[in-house]
Order: sequence, then C-alpha cells, then structure tokens
Amino acid sequence: MARFNSILTLVFDVLLGRLGHDRPWFDLLLWPILGGIVALLVIKAVSNQAGITRAKNFIQVHLLEIVLFRDDLRVVLPATARALGYNLMYLGYNIVPMLVMIVPMTAILVQLVSHYAYAPTQVGSVVTVVASLDPAVGGVKPAEVSIELPPGVELDAPPVRSAGQEVAWRLRVTAPGDHVLKVHAGSQVEEKLLSAGGEARKVSVLRTKSLEAVLYPAEPVPAADSPIASIQIMERHDQPLGLLPAGESGILMWFFGVSLLAGFLLKDFFGVTL
Amino acid sequence: MAVTIHPGRMQTRRWLHPSSWLALGLLVSPSLAHAYVGPGAGFAFAGSLAVMVAAFALAVGTILLWPITFVIRLVRVGNPYKHAQTRRVVVIGLDGMDPGITTRFLREGRLPHLQKLAEAGVFRPLDTSNPSMSPVAWSTFATGVDPSRHGIYDFITRDPCTYAPMLSSTDIKNAERVLNIGKYVIPLEKPKIKLLQKSQAFWKTLGEKHIPSIIQRVPITFPPVPFRGILLSGMCVPDLRGSQGTFSFFSTANKDGQAAFTGGEQTVLRRKGNVIRSRIVGPDNGMVKGGPRMTLPFTLTVGEEGARLEIEGCEPIDLTLRTYSGWVNLSFKAGPGVAVAGIAKFYLLSVKPEVSLYMTPIHIDPESPAMPISHPEVYAVYLAKRFGPFATLGLAEDTWALNERVIDEGAFFDQAMAFCEEREKMLFDALDHTKEGLVTTVFDTTDRVQHMFYRYLDPTHPANVGKESTAYADAIQRVYSHMDKVVGRVMEQVGPDTLVLVMSDHGFTNFRRGVNLNTWLRNEGYLTLLEGRELSGDWFEYVDWSRTRAFALGLTGMFINRKGREKSGIVAEGEEYRSLVKEICAKLEALVDPQSNIRAVRRAVAAFEVFDGPYRLDSPDILVGYEGGFRNSWTCATGSVTDTVFEDNTKSWSGDHCVDPAIVPGVLFANRPLVVENPHIADVPFSILSMFGHKPPKHMQGRMLFAEKGQVGTVRGPLDPHSLPQSGSAPGARIFPEVGDA
Repeated sequence: MARFNSILTLVFDVLLGRLGHDRPWFDLLLWPILGGIVALLVIKAVSNQAGITRAKNFIQVHLLEIVLFRDDLRVVLPATARALGYNLMYLGYNIVPMLVMIVPMTAILVQLVSHYAYAPTQVGSVVTVVASLDPAVGGVKPAEVSIELPPGVELDAPPVRSAGQEVAWRLRVTAPGDHVLKVHAGSQVEEKLLSAGGEARKVSVLRTKSLEAVLYPAEPVPAADSPIASIQIMERHDQPLGLLPAGESGILMWFFGVSLLAGFLLKDFFGVTL
Repeated sequence: MAVTIHPGRMQTRRWLHPSSWLALGLLVSPSLAHAYVGPGAGFAFAGSLAVMVAAFALAVGTILLWPITFVIRLVRVGNPYKHAQTRRVVVIGLDGMDPGITTRFLREGRLPHLQKLAEAGVFRPLDTSNPSMSPVAWSTFATGVDPSRHGIYDFITRDPCTYAPMLSSTDIKNAERVLNIGKYVIPLEKPKIKLLQKSQAFWKTLGEKHIPSIIQRVPITFPPVPFRGILLSGMCVPDLRGSQGTFSFFSTANKDGQAAFTGGEQTVLRRKGNVIRSRIVGPDNGMVKGGPRMTLPFTLTVGEEGARLEIEGCEPIDLTLRTYSGWVNLSFKAGPGVAVAGIAKFYLLSVKPEVSLYMTPIHIDPESPAMPISHPEVYAVYLAKRFGPFATLGLAEDTWALNERVIDEGAFFDQAMAFCEEREKMLFDALDHTKEGLVTTVFDTTDRVQHMFYRYLDPTHPANVGKESTAYADAIQRVYSHMDKVVGRVMEQVGPDTLVLVMSDHGFTNFRRGVNLNTWLRNEGYLTLLEGRELSGDWFEYVDWSRTRAFALGLTGMFINRKGREKSGIVAEGEEYRSLVKEICAKLEALVDPQSNIRAVRRAVAAFEVFDGPYRLDSPDILVGYEGGFRNSWTCATGSVTDTVFEDNTKSWSGDHCVDPAIVPGVLFANRPLVVENPHIADVPFSILSMFGHKPPKHMQGRMLFAEKGQVGTVRGPLDPHSLPQSGSAPGARIFPEVGDA
C-alpha cells in the first residue's frame, strides 16, 4: 500500500504540480470530470446494467403508481413499499462498482486534497505538533521523545506529554519554507514536513502508520518498527480557492458534485445506465 | 502549561462543520474513507436518496392528505356509493363483435366463457348509432347522446369553407407564437390540439361524484379531456407524422412502380453487396423553417436468413425473416437538444431475390409522448415503464399495409394479436388498481381482423381473386375465442359483485360491392363536373360547386350543397332543401346493383328526420344505410367521381359495418339480467351511472337497462338465434350454416 501510495504521489506531483497551484480551478475541474468518466467506465464494465435498468424502471413505476392512484391507500402503501424495495435492489446493484471504484476515486481525491486543501502555516503563527507513540512497538516512553527544529521554527512552549502515548509541542514559525522537523524517539528519528509562508502548494498535515496514511499520502509512511505511530500538525488552514469551496470538505463536495454531474451528463455518451 | 490534546477528536470535530454534514449526508457515511468512494457510490446514493425522499414524500403526503380529501368528499358528495347497486363496473369493449357470428360460435361451443356469462346474465344485440361506425358509436357510448349532440358523424367530414376533408374528431394547430432564430423556429406555446367531440363523457360525471375510472383506448378520446380519473386515448391518436398511420416499405424491388401507397410510402433500396443504406422518414421538423422531414439513417446488412438493422442512435437489431422485431425506439433530432421520440416495429419480408422490409407507422412513444395521449399525462409513461412500449396509434393494426399487399395475412394477424396482448396487460393492471369504480377497455382486434379476414368466410368474395383464401379461414374464430378467454379471466378475477359488461359498438357484414355515390349523383344530375371533365380525382378535384346540389364524402354520408352552410352552396333552406333530400333518398332506396339485381340501399335516412340536437347542422344530410354486402366504394369515400357506380371490392378489407345500422347491431353481454329487450348503445352509460347510484344528467338519452333495487330483471339468458338480422352475411358468418345460401 505504501509503495502504491508513493508511486501515485510521484505521478500526481508531476500531473498536479506541472501547472503550478495558481490555477486550481483547472485541476479541480479536470480531475472530477475524469473521475466521473472513470466511474462510468467502471460501472459499465462491472455492474449489472440490465438489473439497474430494471430496478430503476420499477422504482419509477411504483412512484408513478403513487401519483396516479393517490386517492386509494390500498394502492399507495404497497406501491411505496415496492418502490423502497426496488431502491434497495438498485443500491445492491451498485455495490460491486462502488467497491471497484474506491481505489481510483480515493487515489484521485486524496491527491487533490493534499495539493489544494491546506494552506501553508503563516509565518509568525503558532502550531501544535503531536507525535503519537506506537504501543505495538513499545520500548520508548513519552519522556524519551524530543523534537529537533530547523532554523525558522522555534519552540514556543515546553512539550506536553499526555498520560497516554502522545507528546505535543507548541511551535512558532519565524521564517517561510518547507521546514523538516525531526522527532527523536529513543534511537529512532522520524521527520515531518512543516510548510510555512510562501505560495500555495502541497501541504502535509499528517504522517502516519495507520490506515489513514491512504488518505494523507504527501509524506512517506513511518517504518513499521518505528516507535512513532504518527506526527500530526493540528492547526490546518484551508487554502482559499477563489469561488471554489475550500478545505477537505469543500474539495470533497466539489469533487463529488462535479464528478456526479459529469457522470450524469456523459452517461448517454458512454451508454451507461446509472 | 498542561494541555490535553485528543487529535482524533479534533479531526472528528472538523467534519462536524455544516458543509461537511451536507457532503456526508449525501454519502450516507460519517467517515472520510467512505466519503472518498466518490461518484460510484454517489450515483447510487444520490439516485436512491432521491427515490427514498420522493417515495416517502409521496406516501406521507398521500397519507396525510387522504383524510382531508376523504372529508372533502364526504362533505361534497357524501358516500358516492350510498345508492349504488354495485361498487365496480367493468366494461370490455370488443369493437365490431357481431351478434350473428358470436351466436354461431356460441352454438359451436367455441366461446364457453361468454356462454357462461350469457347464462348467468344476458346476451342481446345492442342497437348501434346511425351511422354505425366506431367513432360515432363509441362517442355515443362515451356521452350517452346521439350524433347530433356529440357532433361525430364519421371519421372525416368536409370543411364547409373549402370542401376539403378534415378529421371529425380532432383539430390540431401548430403553435402560433414562435421565435425565429436563423433557420430555427422556436415555438413559444404548445400546439393546440382540440377534441371536437361535444357533450360530456359519463366518466367525467362519475369523477365529479368521486367514483374513479380507468378508461383505456375508447375511440375518440384524443386529446384526452381532463377529468377526475385516468384515461388512455384510443382511435384517432395520430402517428408521429401526424397521420392516422403511415407505414414504410423498403425494398430493392419497386413494388407496383409507385412511391406511395394508400396509408404508406415506398423507398426503393440500392444494395451494395450485402449492405443497404437508407433513411427512415419521420415527422416534419416544426422547429426548422419550411418544416423539412426529419430522417434517421440506417444500415441493413443482409444475411441468408435474416438481416442486421442498425439505426442511428439505436442498438443494432437482428431481424429474422417473417418475424416482428420488438418495439424500436426512434429518436428524431429536431434541433440542438430537442428530439422527438417514436416507436416502430420492423418485419423482414424477404432477403432474396429482393430485400424487402416493412416498418409499422411510427407510433408516439408512450414513455416520452410527443403529444398528450393520456390523462394524466404520466399514465402512458406508467404503462410503458410497467409493461414496455405499446401501440399508441389510434388505428394501430396496419390494415392499409395488408390492403396494399405489402404484408400478408400472417404478418397482419401477428401484429394485431401482439397489440391485443398489450391491451390485455393494461386491462388487468386497471382491474388490479380499481377495487371500486369503473374500468373500461376497448379491444380493436375483433374489428380489424373481421375487416381484413371477412373474405375467408365467403368463398365467392371478389377480394379472394388472386389471393390465398384458406389459410386464415379461422382467423375471426381465433380472435373471438381469444377474447372469450380474456372475458373468462376477467370474470374469474372480479367475482359476481362486479357488474361486467361485454359489448361492441356495431356488428359486421360482408363488403363485396363498392358504390360510388358521387358517380351516381353525377349520373342523376345532382353533381356537376367542370366543363370538359367526365371524372374527378380525390377530394372533388373537378367538381363545379356552382352547379352541384349534393356530394358524398366518407363512409355513409351525403351532403347537400346548402346555401349559407357550404361555401358555394346553391340549395336554399326550407322546402327546396327538404324536397331534394326526400327525392334523393327515394332514388337511393331504388338503386339496384346491375350485377345481382339486388337493391343496394336498404334505408336512406334524412338527417332532419332523425336528428334534433344542437349539432344537427354538422351532420351529413342523408345517411345512406346500405344493404349487407354493399358500402361506399373506396373512391367515393375520398370524393372521387369514377366511370361506374358499382364496382367489386377487391381489397383485403372485405368486411364492413357502414351499412344500415339495423343489420349490424353490436353485442351486449352482462352478468345481470336486463329489463329491456332491445338495448341501445346509449343505454349503457346511462345504466352505468344509475348502477353507481347516481342520476344521469338530463342531456343523456339512454334508459336504465338493469332492474332498480328491489326489482328483478326479466330479460335474461342467451339470445334467440332466429331473432338476428343476417343481411348480406357471408356463408361462413351465418348463424345457421347448415341452411345454406339464403
């Protein structure tokens, strides 16, 4: 998974970074549209198109039945039940394409998020960095965890070590740049990128061993034997995208909406029943 | 400074942002990972969510509104069934079912369910309208009044301002307000489509009393008039081209050397190897100046036993020889983003030595109707989605294709039975949805098959010459038996509490000889042609109206060229008019066919003697009631003047009913006895309203056929077979074939 992620990251860094990040609308239109097309192709290839057509047809039949015979509850109630039943069948027919689509859709979306969702930390502001220890590896206590800061980043307060397996540092950014923070845990060192000031660009907010790494692929996954499970920057600032919705949820909604729209507009062209 | 940080919770909190909820709500998942599934799930969830919302909204709305509408109904009309003798009435209309032929088949034991129905209730002939043809008779059924009150006298009439033919039932006008943009003409309003039938259908009265109805394919219901009920239009619904049915014949041979047939068009194909390219001609494009015909290119790849048909915008269709394709959706592009939808069936007639392909008229697609063909409009959509595409054309069975010998009897019969099966599904769906109220379904199959196969019942029929005349000798019997089974299924489904009526609008008789009344009028000096003309083409091409006193158009009507009514009328109202009508009637009744010395006209009726309704002036002035075996000739119906008055009818359309109504009554079966011996078609709607416990409106002319509450009907059981007229009936149609030729 880690290898797959890093390959995809390389590819998307080229694809998304080539035009720079000053024209996000281009990528944020192109990729959802491509996503919609991929979805159509996947649905066409793996779904039961006849079944979907049949289920949709019956849903419409029973909705029309409700409209036509609205004065007769003896018709309306069974028709409602049947419409919902066929709705479940329709959902069932979409499970396989949905499962198949998880991989390409997630891949595209997480890359867009890492490139366009977060703004670099403002110079002069304070950020909290939290390192979590991996209980499965063990051997290192929170007291043995420290941070090494590059020029341009200063410790703003002493670290806080929680009762659990976490250590937090409050840092003040004093200079722009892509700063590399080094977290020492026993003899092991893990790095974390802290982007500050300057132009919009890919920003990494989390580096983790957990499954969440799939959603935050900007930095490599820590080694399996590393006592550090994750390093996270808690303050995330949405990258303004002009008229487009910003942040993770904004890009998610945008991607969802545009890819859906593209899919619905192009379904006849591709001969797909949705 | 002690700070407790819970990164996981912080992250979760970010997703609590309202916009996140929207996204998550759409994805029905609180998890980023699930949300990332993206469009794949989106397509399913967005669609499903919409369905769920719609279904719940509709159901909840209906459930919430139901008590309100119930109270409104109680306040306005009380219990609509308070005085009812039945809470459900089912009318099965079998167009053209003849009491004579029915009686014969009953005697032969071929109609067991109708026999049972007659024994449990009654079977009697049903007096029909004058003229005795479907648009007129079914209009009387719908309204309960005679033609002078509903205004329908024939399929066509003449425009008194031009003498040009026009449809009696419907007036269609294109949108007047349009926007011209370059070559495009954008209509700013809908075309005006108006039903010309007057008076009021009895199902509208039922609707006002909150008694639901489902009315299917009753003739002369296009465009559908809104009422509190459901209706699917029947006879007179046009095809997509606006005609009453234009078939297409594609062939590498030039059949009869003509481009057009009556009711159809021929396209001569050019073959390159096994591939043929041509075009399907669709409707005029009203969105482009000049209204050019829209076309759809197609490629036909011919094989040994079939062909592959590829039409632009459609999936390829593999055609097997002499087998109908399913309904094929045809989409004609009228302009950017605008398409007109139709459906058609294809029938591969031959692949060698010549390739010939027949296409039915392009029916309006019920799933996307270009014109209103149902009320509510979504009813046609509902039926199409439930059962698939179905024939929507008014005269759906393509009689002209058989008449012109483009298809043969087998192809016609298969087509008619396929349409019949579509109608059956609709009927049983209507029964499922109507536990109380009225269901009326009209089947045309009986009429069309009798028209086209009657010659098989008459070995000496002129139409048999040069045609196969034995293979389909049982076609009429097969259709009657099929409909008997349908009646049996209905009886089984509805039970005895439902009033079941099986009825027809008219009967049938032979059509051996055509009579050109225009030629006769010319011979008698009532119709004058322009100087130097002996004959006239269609639609009175060479008629001198300034010297013409009478003319015939349509199937039974003769018009007097009346001053003040017709554009160039010359016959004054009053005595001149009346005496002329009487004079012509007397002469018509004396008209003898020189071939057989049989009187051709049984009864010529002066309209002013039988009609007194508000639309009597629209009536033909003389209703020509032929003897069995005669009818207006094909050329007379279209306003031609020919050489001879009488001619053999050699077309496959060999049976008819446009004769004296007295010899072609319809049938009435009911599962209850009657109180009158001679029911009339106008009595049926009157009785249905009465059986639901509602007083029929005063304008209705019928009588109550069934016993009132507490009384007993005395007219019951099967019919006395000796009581039926058999004028002109073919030997194979006679009740007592053992008697031989009468």
